[in-house]
Amino acid sequence: MNRMLNDDLQLLNGNHAVAWGVRLAGPDVAPVYPITPQTPILEKLIAFQAEGKFDCDLLTPESEHSAMAAAVAASATGARVFTATSSQGLMLMHELLHYASGARMPIVMFNVNRTPAAPWGFWPDQTDSLSQRDTGWVQLYSEHPQESLDTVVQAFRIAEACELPVMVNHDAFYVSHAVEPVSVPEAKAVRDFLPRRERSLWLDTGIGRSIGAPAGQEAWHASRREMDAAMARVEDLTREAGRLWGEATGRAYDVLEAYRMEGAQLAFVTMGSMAGTAREAVDALREAGLAAGMVRLRLFRPLPAAALRAALADIPVALVLDRNFSPGMGGIVHQELAAALYGHDGPRLYGFLAGVGGINVPVERLVALAREYRDAAPTHAPIWLE
Amino acid sequence: MLEIVILGRGGQGAQTAGNQLARALFDEGLFVQVFATYGGARRGTPVASSLRADTRPIRLRSDITRADALLCFDESLLNEAFLRRGREGALVLVNSAREAADFTVADRRIVPLDGRAIARRNDMGKVVNSALLGGFAAALGQPALESICAVIEQTAPAKVAQNLAACREAHALVAGQLEEMA
Repeated sequence: MNRMLNDDLQLLNGNHAVAWGVRLAGPDVAPVYPITPQTPILEKLIAFQAEGKFDCDLLTPESEHSAMAAAVAASATGARVFTATSSQGLMLMHELLHYASGARMPIVMFNVNRTPAAPWGFWPDQTDSLSQRDTGWVQLYSEHPQESLDTVVQAFRIAEACELPVMVNHDAFYVSHAVEPVSVPEAKAVRDFLPRRERSLWLDTGIGRSIGAPAGQEAWHASRREMDAAMARVEDLTREAGRLWGEATGRAYDVLEAYRMEGAQLAFVTMGSMAGTAREAVDALREAGLAAGMVRLRLFRPLPAAALRAALADIPVALVLDRNFSPGMGGIVHQELAAALYGHDGPRLYGFLAGVGGINVPVERLVALAREYRDAAPTHAPIWLE
Repeated sequence: MLEIVILGRGGQGAQTAGNQLARALFDEGLFVQVFATYGGARRGTPVASSLRADTRPIRLRSDITRADALLCFDESLLNEAFLRRGREGALVLVNSAREAADFTVADRRIVPLDGRAIARRNDMGKVVNSALLGGFAAALGQPALESICAVIEQTAPAKVAQNLAACREAHALVAGQLEEMA
């Protein structure tokens, strides 16, 4: 059976889908520096502006560091701010990522996951954003272009509700450059979903006030306690945003997604585009009589630890597929999941470095992996997939 | 699921051809996914476009390693590594002035098409993608010529009539060749 030809789908690549989401969310300021494979986001925003469809101060400063500095400054005035980057660009922003979260700026940033140099590369790999996990940014990971559009809009709602910056990520090429049918929501639906809310603190030339000025130990300590409290709200805010988005568009989201987990004897755990391939592996395994399932982590920071424990409570074996690498330790999702499960009953965990550097991970490889590891000896050591 | 890989050199239009082919299949009611992969994209370096089309939404996010059909924009790129991305019996349409018999490749169905000659005849200079698309659609049996032409009409940046003429000529040429062989 073919697709309904009267549906509202249009063909967009992942990056253009993001640009559509940003256009609908209507930021006031967007400082962006181009970098492969993020550039099509910026190009599309510029095209929207040239058509008179995107009323935004689109700044193109001389580096990502300056882009984030401009984003922080603009956000401090109470503006809705968007930026986008990838890999080296994200890492050049590093010190200002801490600044943005410490100053409680609800900036939304889209990051296209790409291998960090050296060697130079352009391949899908999440080490760039995962190595920013302690900077105080909320992190979400998208599987496909439609989700990237939907999530960037939801990110503004989450950021502005908790006054923390939110980074949404999708994989280079497999999502960023994948042209697929995407449904673009009505502008009014997005406006209703994303009302403007007054900030608790902003800079105004008419008011004597400063943000981020030197603080004593007590005040600095208090700032982190407040961030902690804000982070504690993010999981519920993400669920709420996902539920309301579902009501508005028919596409609901949660902090994680359980795929065919009913009665599963083995689960893949992964993030981003790998989940699509894992779905096919789960279906193939079920067809062949092995009850497999998948848990896809959508919200990575804050880590929804209790939800992960609940999703994996009765599963004997979990295979974590990490398209990232922390040298000396292994896969980052594997470490995080092991920490979340520590002291609780949970599955026997295996951590796979799967697709690091963007190498291909086909369905058959995942099917073979499930068969090989369902009864294997336990190990905490990371396992490289060739 | 139909899986296709298009390979060309940066600037030849392989990525555009992949997008146009995907749009034509999409317009015929299929779900599609098409993505390009390249390194530092420079004019002349290899650029691949990978295309999937199916009657249900496409979830796979991996490389295509057993394509049903390959389209090669540049004969110099037609090597073992590229041919291995096609499954056994895969259709391989290659932009070449040589005859099918000149290619000694086992287990692949090679269809040469002189895209450059067709482009020249239709005042397209060295721009071969509309010709190759027409020929490829004929060899593949889908999408319909009119679907491809509709997309070219919407997306060709210039010389629309010439692009359409090149596409139609190539389609007729390959369809005729296949009829002869049958």
